[in-house]
Amino acid sequence: MLAVNVNNIKKTFVTKQETVEAVKDVSFQVEQGEIFGLLGPNGAGKSTTILMLTTLLSVTSGKASILGLDITTKDKEVREKIGVALQDTGIDNLLTGKELFFTTCRLWGYSKKDSEKRTLELLELVGLTEAADRRVKTYSGGMKRRLDLGLSLVHSPEILFLDEPTTGLDPGSRRVLWEEIKRLRDNGVTIILTTQYLEEADELADRLAIIDEGLVVAEGTSDELKASIGGDVITFSFENDLDLKNAKNVLYDAIEDKGQLRITVEDGAAKIPSFINDLNKNGIIVSSVSASKPTLDDVFLEVTGYRLEGSAGTDSSNELEVK
Amino acid sequence: MESNRSFFVQLQVLTKRMVLRVVRRPLAELPNLIISAFFLFVYDGALGGVFGGSASGTPFDFANGNFINFILPVSIVSASLSGAASGIYLVEDIESGVFKRYQSMPISRWAIILAPMNVGALRVLLQAGLILLIGKFIGANPEVGNVGFFIVLSLAFIWGMGFAGYSVAAGVKSGSSQGAQAATFLFFPAIFLAPTFVPREQLKGWLETAAAYNPTTYVIEGMRSVMVQGWELDTLFRGYLSATSFAVITLTLAVISARKATEKA
Repeated sequence: MLAVNVNNIKKTFVTKQETVEAVKDVSFQVEQGEIFGLLGPNGAGKSTTILMLTTLLSVTSGKASILGLDITTKDKEVREKIGVALQDTGIDNLLTGKELFFTTCRLWGYSKKDSEKRTLELLELVGLTEAADRRVKTYSGGMKRRLDLGLSLVHSPEILFLDEPTTGLDPGSRRVLWEEIKRLRDNGVTIILTTQYLEEADELADRLAIIDEGLVVAEGTSDELKASIGGDVITFSFENDLDLKNAKNVLYDAIEDKGQLRITVEDGAAKIPSFINDLNKNGIIVSSVSASKPTLDDVFLEVTGYRLEGSAGTDSSNELEVK
Repeated sequence: MESNRSFFVQLQVLTKRMVLRVVRRPLAELPNLIISAFFLFVYDGALGGVFGGSASGTPFDFANGNFINFILPVSIVSASLSGAASGIYLVEDIESGVFKRYQSMPISRWAIILAPMNVGALRVLLQAGLILLIGKFIGANPEVGNVGFFIVLSLAFIWGMGFAGYSVAAGVKSGSSQGAQAATFLFFPAIFLAPTFVPREQLKGWLETAAAYNPTTYVIEGMRSVMVQGWELDTLFRGYLSATSFAVITLTLAVISARKATEKA
């Protein structure tokens, strides 16, 4: 049985002023025990999709099920199966970590004795045992995210939804959380996470879907997506804007990006000399050129026509620079 | 591990959590707790000399020479308005996202809504109880005996729950704690368009008419009846009827607005 089965779901918000199609048409399937990533910029429809799947928002049209349970007609049963850590889910800052775990355990129906036991287990699991008796307002951002993750695990859910779990965290805290997410996957928990970080999607997701403007524009494993654009990415830089403009008339298939031209070809390193010759014949001076294997960043650029904000660009480990 | 999800356990757990929140920010809560006591002393100090023992035998003797008996219900009614904190507690949870967390869990929505109202009720009892204790200490002596204190407390409780319902409805509607806070300004017309400092017969013109339509009037008169006059069952009945009607109306509004707040968009 599929862990998550989403078929053409759509969400439209209608207000007096306007009608907004937050999710236009989203479909994907998630197998049990995998980490599935939804990658996209702010406003792409990732969080709205998660809100619908976690039964917190109604679906305008389309169907989706969690472990075979329809999210619209079986929403109570769905909530029993899932854990949710949303981007804007609140944590009571005036309580201690231990009190929050205990309260959440009691709300899930555990007896006082079992709640005490489970609280200690979860504090240990998310590495907050030492901070257990401190009020949450004294926790760092990373500690709060781990607490949030722990709270979503109280009832040992089969499926975990994480909405941008590492947004705003420093690289060290991000890596700690990644390890915890992977450990959960290794223990059989299915994880659906949204992210706007390419590196996170690449590192964590077994499969991923790229969402843009409410639509799934690409889906597959990270390697499949990279392979789908084929060959190597060659990036050209120029002395001035005029050369850049003229070069676009020579390299017809190139995409302009941040003052550079990028072209995807088979066996890129071998083809660089002929490209440079063609450009030189037209009086265009190339200031630098590099070839690299495609990254998720390239895939994103290819399928959406723009880059994710803050993305790293080409993978420098494979870079060949020519001056 | 066994799982037993009882509504009452959920309500108790959520109420306890909210009590912890209140206890852990004493600076935000204490001023409200002592302000009614402060006004009791101010009213007694400023007006007791005129309307107290020295007024005995004059038309200004409203309370058989014991002005504390007369003015205590005003402080109690002010104290009972602390039930309005319920709406603020609930909206704080909505603003912080805690409400959404609970919605994503299989918790009774009524438990989520009733928990802040429970805490509001506890506040009313605590605050009104404190004023009654102080009143007793400085000379309040109900005409019907000490049972009068319990009658006053019960009226304060019902009245306070009415304000709790009102604040929840206003808070959820406005969607912000500032909105819930602003809604408590109803306090001023409620308390001052009423026979606050003199009996209703002494009010004149528009104020007399406004007081007749203000439910607070009947609550204060109900309390005063046991404090000053003795057993006047019709006055007492009007007091309970007024407080209960107000509470039923506002709690219904609270339920309707809370239901809308917990519905899926």
